[in-house]
Amino acid sequence: MITVTDLSKRFGSKVAVDHLGFEVRPGVVTGFLGPNGSGKSTTMRCMLGLDRADGGQTLFDGQHYQSLHQPLHQVGSLLDAGYVHPGRSGRNHLRWLAASNGIGKRRIDETLEMVGLTAVAGERLRGYSLGMRQRLGLAAVLLGDPHTIILDEPANGLDPEGIRWIRDVLVHLAGQGRTVLVSSHQLSEMALMAQDLVVIGQGRLIEQSTVTDFVERHADRWVRVKSPAVESLRQSLEQRGGEVEPVDEHTLHVRGIDCATVGELAANQQLVLHELSPQTGSLEDAFLKATAAAQEYRSGEVGGRS
Amino acid sequence: MINLLRSEWIKLRTVTMNWVLGIIAVAFPLLITLLTAFFASGNDGDGEGLDTEGLISVLTGTTVVAALLCGVIAAASITSEFGFGTIRPTFAATPRRLRVIVAKGAVVVAATTALAVVVQLIGWFVGGAVADSQGASIDLALVPTGVPAMIGAVVLTALMSLAGYALGLLTRSTPVAVSILIVWPLIAEGLIAQLLVLVAGNDSIPNWMPFQSGIRLVVVGSVDLGPSRPFAGIYFGLFALALAALGAWAVDRRDA
Repeated sequence: MITVTDLSKRFGSKVAVDHLGFEVRPGVVTGFLGPNGSGKSTTMRCMLGLDRADGGQTLFDGQHYQSLHQPLHQVGSLLDAGYVHPGRSGRNHLRWLAASNGIGKRRIDETLEMVGLTAVAGERLRGYSLGMRQRLGLAAVLLGDPHTIILDEPANGLDPEGIRWIRDVLVHLAGQGRTVLVSSHQLSEMALMAQDLVVIGQGRLIEQSTVTDFVERHADRWVRVKSPAVESLRQSLEQRGGEVEPVDEHTLHVRGIDCATVGELAANQQLVLHELSPQTGSLEDAFLKATAAAQEYRSGEVGGRS
Repeated sequence: MINLLRSEWIKLRTVTMNWVLGIIAVAFPLLITLLTAFFASGNDGDGEGLDTEGLISVLTGTTVVAALLCGVIAAASITSEFGFGTIRPTFAATPRRLRVIVAKGAVVVAATTALAVVVQLIGWFVGGAVADSQGASIDLALVPTGVPAMIGAVVLTALMSLAGYALGLLTRSTPVAVSILIVWPLIAEGLIAQLLVLVAGNDSIPNWMPFQSGIRLVVVGSVDLGPSRPFAGIYFGLFALALAALGAWAVDRRDA
């Protein structure tokens, strides 16, 4: 269990983290989301004592990070896969980390095997791709077999197989009862692996909930209906107060009326339906809606959409 | 602490640049000393051949350059951590930063000191043998300041490493730390000393500048004005230690 309370961090006049508080429970993957510049990475650095917080605290199972004797056995973290010396080999990178926490050679070999880097462990890191460095970073996280795992954008630079692999690894680790906190911009991936979400914007907590509740609360919902007699159906839906959006000559998206009502209206008019299905927006839609007010950097319109 | 020392030792010896600089730091004084012993020891009757004092002077004098290189190794041992970002996993693995700083400093100073010991031993024994073979009369008993100067060269190397490490802690930048390490003793300190002499009118001031004071550790002959050899070593040592303490304090307080 991670408990963050009233955490604050300021860089000069810029407030990066503003009295942030949340909890991360064990046994599930918790996604840590926020727009660019929202303070996710700063929060993670403050949690680990790498950035000196101006206020607040973070407890790992009731203990401050600084009070942990050999933290790699309790908290594994990967904040940036690029934090390596390019002249060292992958194995030597793990060796110095392991030695600092009294971890033996056998565990180094085990973690290299787990992340699939055994064959290239002796090669210098300057030759590693970003994906290989991410795997090495995960090996470092797993060195001490920690019960808490903190990862900042772990899927960056990974190919589709790598992304799927890291998702499976994190879900597996959470399934073993570990506490897993992961930040990512890949919301489709987050939707697949996270059960809980912590969403922040401009350094403040926007929402903490389960993914299901978050999407339920923020994402758009509509009914997709397909019929050969779409015009007749459209008129009755509009008379009933529905907001109707034609998609093609046989398909409508209907908002403001639920699926059952659309079906009853069609039945009353004896109209044939080829499809009638409730639709819910994605986690991405929900995220964009929830953080709209907290976007620090906003893109311009492309092709009529913002 | 043993785990930390092991970790820092692995870090130090798994970077090729450290080996390259270390080999140069050993090879340069040895090469100059052995060449001098071979070519300048000829007893041609004019009394100008290499003697014991000359041999030790060459050995300890060239060790000053090696000490500067060791300072560079020490500075880079910490600045490269900031440069490549490995300081973050380091402090994540050991949140008590002062322990890391002490362990890293201890390892790099011990390693460079060992290099200096190797240089002095090989330089003296092999250099002496070469000079002997060329007809020079080498006898340590004839030069009472010989052993203190060679020990001083080892101490100077250790203190230059400590000073380099301290500059690395303070600046977090390899180019800046190395520039200061080279420019300060070779140029800046002399200019400042001369300026102070002009202002204060005291000719002994240059001897009290930190690096100049450290240089007195390796002087073979008699020293004139200024601190004695042990006092000069302590003086320079305290200066390096104070810099290191300031650097450690800064790293402990600042964001990693």
